[in-house]
Amino acid sequence: MPSSRYAYQPSREFHVVVLGAGGVGKSCLTAQFVHNEWIESYDPTIEDSYRTQVSVDGRQVMLEILDTAGTEQFVAMRDLYMKTGQGFLLVFSITSRASLQELVTLRDEIIRIKDDENIPIVIVGNKADLVDQRQVDRAKAFSISQRWQAPYYEASARTRTNVDEVFVDLCRQMLRRDDAQEHSQDSYYDKGEDPSSSRRRRKRKQKQGPRCAIL
Amino acid sequence: MAMLSDQPMRSSLQVAPLALQKARIDAGDNVSDSTVASNPYSQSQITPPTTPNGSQEDLNIPANVASPVFHSFLRAFYPFHPSYVMTDSTVTLPLSEGDIILVHSIHTNGWADGTLLVSGMRGWLPTNYCEAYGPEEMRNLLKALLNFWDLMRSTWGSDNEMFGNQEFMKGIIVGVRYLLERTHCLSRESPLVQRHEGLRRSRKSLLSELSSLVKTAKRLQETEKMVDPEEEINTVVDEMILKAFKIVTKGVKFLDILEDDRRQRASAIGIMGTLLEDTCVPPTPPADSATFDNGQEQIGDADSRADENGGVAEPALSGPSEVAQIQPPTNKRLSAVYSMGTNARRLSQGNPSQVNRLSSTIQHRVSLAGSSPLTQSQNLVSGRLTSCHDLFLSHLGSFIGRLQVQSQSRPHLALAIKQSVTSGGELLVVVDVVCSHGSPTSDVLDQFRAAMYDRIQDLVHTARDVLTNSGPEMEDVIVPQDNGRLLGAATGCVKATGECVAKARWVIERIGDFEFEFDNGSLGVDFDLSALDAIPGERSTPPSAYSPSIAESSVSEAPTASTAVSVASPAPAAPRPTALSVDKPLPEVPQITSPLNETFETRRSPPSSRPQSLVDDNASSMVSSVSSLRPSLPPLPKISTSLLAASEYSPTEPSATTDGEFRSFRAESMTASSSGSGSTYLSRDSESSLMSQTSTRATTPDSTQIPRSQPSLSELSVAESSTHTEEVDDVESRLLERTYAHELIFNKEGQVTGGTLPALVERLTTHEATPDALFVSTFYLTFRLFCTPEKLAEALVDRFDYIGEAPHIAGPVRLRTYNVFKGWLESHWKEEADSEALPLIKHFAEFKLGSVLPSAAKRLVELTDKVTLSDITLVPRLASAMTRTNSLVTLALPPDASLPNPVITRGQLNSLANWKAGGSSPSILDLDPLEVARQLTIKQVSLFCSITPDELLGSKWTKEAGAHTPNVKAMMAFTTGLSHLVADTILQYEEVKKRALVIKHWIKIAHQCQCLHNYDALMAITCALTDTSIKRLRITWENVSIKRKEMLKSLQSIVEFNQNYKVLRSRLHDHVPPCLPFLGMFLTDLTFVDVGNPATKTSDTGLTVINFDKHMRTAKSIGELQRFQIPYRLIDVPDLQEWLWTQIDRLRDKEKVGANAQASHYRKSLLLEPRETQQARTSSETTSTSTSTATTVSNGMFGWLRSNSTTDTLMPAQI
Repeated sequence: MPSSRYAYQPSREFHVVVLGAGGVGKSCLTAQFVHNEWIESYDPTIEDSYRTQVSVDGRQVMLEILDTAGTEQFVAMRDLYMKTGQGFLLVFSITSRASLQELVTLRDEIIRIKDDENIPIVIVGNKADLVDQRQVDRAKAFSISQRWQAPYYEASARTRTNVDEVFVDLCRQMLRRDDAQEHSQDSYYDKGEDPSSSRRRRKRKQKQGPRCAIL
Repeated sequence: MAMLSDQPMRSSLQVAPLALQKARIDAGDNVSDSTVASNPYSQSQITPPTTPNGSQEDLNIPANVASPVFHSFLRAFYPFHPSYVMTDSTVTLPLSEGDIILVHSIHTNGWADGTLLVSGMRGWLPTNYCEAYGPEEMRNLLKALLNFWDLMRSTWGSDNEMFGNQEFMKGIIVGVRYLLERTHCLSRESPLVQRHEGLRRSRKSLLSELSSLVKTAKRLQETEKMVDPEEEINTVVDEMILKAFKIVTKGVKFLDILEDDRRQRASAIGIMGTLLEDTCVPPTPPADSATFDNGQEQIGDADSRADENGGVAEPALSGPSEVAQIQPPTNKRLSAVYSMGTNARRLSQGNPSQVNRLSSTIQHRVSLAGSSPLTQSQNLVSGRLTSCHDLFLSHLGSFIGRLQVQSQSRPHLALAIKQSVTSGGELLVVVDVVCSHGSPTSDVLDQFRAAMYDRIQDLVHTARDVLTNSGPEMEDVIVPQDNGRLLGAATGCVKATGECVAKARWVIERIGDFEFEFDNGSLGVDFDLSALDAIPGERSTPPSAYSPSIAESSVSEAPTASTAVSVASPAPAAPRPTALSVDKPLPEVPQITSPLNETFETRRSPPSSRPQSLVDDNASSMVSSVSSLRPSLPPLPKISTSLLAASEYSPTEPSATTDGEFRSFRAESMTASSSGSGSTYLSRDSESSLMSQTSTRATTPDSTQIPRSQPSLSELSVAESSTHTEEVDDVESRLLERTYAHELIFNKEGQVTGGTLPALVERLTTHEATPDALFVSTFYLTFRLFCTPEKLAEALVDRFDYIGEAPHIAGPVRLRTYNVFKGWLESHWKEEADSEALPLIKHFAEFKLGSVLPSAAKRLVELTDKVTLSDITLVPRLASAMTRTNSLVTLALPPDASLPNPVITRGQLNSLANWKAGGSSPSILDLDPLEVARQLTIKQVSLFCSITPDELLGSKWTKEAGAHTPNVKAMMAFTTGLSHLVADTILQYEEVKKRALVIKHWIKIAHQCQCLHNYDALMAITCALTDTSIKRLRITWENVSIKRKEMLKSLQSIVEFNQNYKVLRSRLHDHVPPCLPFLGMFLTDLTFVDVGNPATKTSDTGLTVINFDKHMRTAKSIGELQRFQIPYRLIDVPDLQEWLWTQIDRLRDKEKVGANAQASHYRKSLLLEPRETQQARTSSETTSTSTSTATTVSNGMFGWLRSNSTTDTLMPAQI
């Protein structure tokens, strides 16, 4: 039914934070995602530069993407970024082992700040097109993915592989979580001020096993 | 076979709303062997679309369909001399075979609004009499004509700016040059010209026409200087447009002659038979997108089949005399006429023409046509879109306005909402129509349409909730917080609509504008407004379950508004004033049967039924209806021209030039621009702030604040007084200039957005006008990103060389070339990168330049020596007028006059001195917040000012740990260090009271930083204070006064990064330095400009060029940053500086040893105030609630969405 496409649905808005070491190409990922190819030139200084609408399983979701691109060294700002995020894209480059290591710190920080171990996260191995420079093998990335219970994707901003997929996956996680919160009576949501709140949340884990998408 | 390889070309048949391919029957020689082959297969292939409504769905399927392209030029294929050329209100253009028409818009019924180049007359013409025109040789000239037309009719910027130099003429000249070059007739002495007398004459007349245009342009420039030039200019501009038309006409004629010649020679050597004509006549398209769904495959099949079958020969009919004798067509479907080898005239054109059809210019032609009062009835979709959008905005605007007023009565509000929503629904219908036409691209539009729809729904829902749910005690008053919700919903609508309309415009631009019937009486997409209606009467009505009463009219089901409308409002009573689409079928095409009956079957039934024309599938009666037609085409603007009087178009003349209808191009364009206010394009004015005045001094590449003098007269003026022949010669010599001008891409504001290196270099050294300062500075700043220094040097030397072919302009150009070198060496030299180019430059200076400009050469040699010796790091500044002015202002202040005295006591100084001598360190609490802020600022600004533009290019600071960007790195390190210092000073105290004191102190310091416009420090301090390890110290914060907390909140809101630093950006915009912006914002911008824009782009003509736009953006961002690189006028307190510096350094060292500072702060924080138990939590709720409110308040436009969810979810915890 074509008309159902426009059926009324409250459109949701999510804040997605893209994190990763400098030079892993995470800004390429963001730019590729927000940048519709039919826009002649991309101006990042306007208010809407990082807002985009995606359709996830037939639901319209408005994403505001926070990318720390270029300001990775302002460590103090990270806290602020993370606080606003409802979902996180942890990006490393498959050509740099150190960039994967960095994610460990970032994830710890996210969990500390959000005070929630089940916060939606997607792990992205970027620069998947540079096969001959690969330093992080898939098994390694996959084991981390399992440990963190977060899906892992290998993507390439350059060839636009899996770019939309990672964002959509994250949206799906956020939507599922949102729905679960709406429906469960006793769950509540706050910014994670207090540690005790997370205990309750931990038992409500219904995520499927981690997925691994490779090229 | 050639036919098969032609496949890509066929995609041009997808062009909406008309597809034109014709077999040209050469009327010139009336060849007896010309055969018209009709393809029997095409009949079965093309079945009438039984479900026209479904066509939209099908259109999306073929993935490889090229986007529809709007043909800007048509060529008359058959003569067309209607007997009813003129009525009081409309003009139908008579066509002679071969006439070229500039198309402004095409109505869905197949009539096009166009201007006949040969006469300059504008009117309606049947597109089925025409074919798309645009051979490769003419491409640049045709494109130039389009640009010329747009430019001449635009009212952007001042005329002065536009006509002040002769730059605007360049396109036409280059176009003519390209034509001659491609045809090997550039030089008068070329063998082709020498051999063929007709060609020679034609070439000469083309050039004399060009010369005449150039002369007129000169006159225009002079007219400019007159006191009240407006009237005069309009006349001259009209004249110039006509002249430009003539040039194109002459060019076409020239090409025709040439091709005749080629063909003759080709037949002489007997290859004619082997050449396959590439054109094929599809069934004359009913100009309705509905037929396109099957179109592609059919045509493809038809082609291949035609190859096999040869085709059925039919006697060719040609010439106007036969037109009258057409028999009623037997079957339209036979009309896929396929001619083989008959199109002698086009034979030789073969491949080039295919190429060019594929890449036809995409131009939004129609914005010009839809705006004059006379043409409003044309129902152009773009016009309708704009007007609906405007209406919607004005309704919403007044609604929002009402919200600001206290105590709204609800019925009033309900009415306002209803109006808004209704107009929104109308807008949606227009968007739907665009959706349905913009086949491959409408997916994106669909999305935005859905978003817009959602927003309007939100508004309705919010309004319903607000209006129905307020208790009886509220009476007719809306409470303020509800106001906020409504406001949020309304602004959401504005935003979503803006996006949607922008996308729709984009789609229109891609597919070409088209006309559409809109019924004024319809509401379009319905929204359930019943809740609003119920308001005044029954307030207690529970919000009934909302049933989305979207009229089932959405895009996919009903591609036209007509259907949508008929669902929404079944019986519109009023007949529409202009029943264009119904009343005016296309005339019969001579001798080729056209499927007029299908045309009408495929038309969706308009709301007001007109049975006579709709159900008419009898072809003969169609013919009669053609002849009996009283044209009811809407009126078009006409121009009255002196040229016209003499032409053979006199039949149309008498009524065409009635006084009332006289319109000049110019005058019309005035109206056009005003109605185009909804456009999203930047106007030139808004850009101008970045461009400083250009200097005309040929010797200064860096621009200074010298008032622009009269542009230097181009070399053309030299020949002005000479005789006509000499003028032609002059134009000829000008044409002989080698140029790369056609390799440049401009945006709508006339700025260069792309080009090849030679073309950019040519632009840099243009002789006609002074180069644009922004362009020059961007070039110097960024050239290393798109070429090597060696390549640039080579390109410059090359420019110096090839301009020698044109002696009369070689002088100024060579001087400019020298100046580019000079500017490079003097102020933009980077020894480590550029040294490789030095030998080249030196060689050039000594040998080439030396022979022409000895003194300049000497200077250049000196400079090359100097750069190798000195290694002073130059800090090139972008030539920004703003920067200059500001620095002047700062420097102009009398020294010491306004320097504030440091706020520091003797005691404080003593304790600092004591610390320096090895004593105990003073606490931050001992120091005055203002002075701390000042000293921080001094330090930060000095770091900020030392950042060079070079460090900011190509995301360099993110690479190799910032090894090549020491200053950016230092600045970032300081800011981060400051954050750590804040956290550290707070966490060092065991006592709660002390910690609270330090927090308060830092809030005061942050406040002082804000007063000093030091946003970098403000960011650092607020970040630290809101960091989790500080924020969680609940007991400590309970000891901080509400007032201070409020202050912190407001400070935070200034630097928050929500909505892409909206608040900070608006503060920085137009901010007068001294001011220290947050560096991180610029770094993010620059990163995204760098990665978000590709390095190259492809021009219309398929050329890959440097994406100069990217570099312009980079330069713009850097220029903005440089605007603030101005020191504050504050007095150093060295001891305090040193103390601060040491404190930050100490932490940095610590960080190096012990990993993560954040983590260690957090551990410390846990030690000071351990995690609380469940019981203690209740009391902490107050804090967390207040913070969450703080964030939601600042969320702005969509804040209400989140604020609801946050408070809702917080509820259970609070209970």
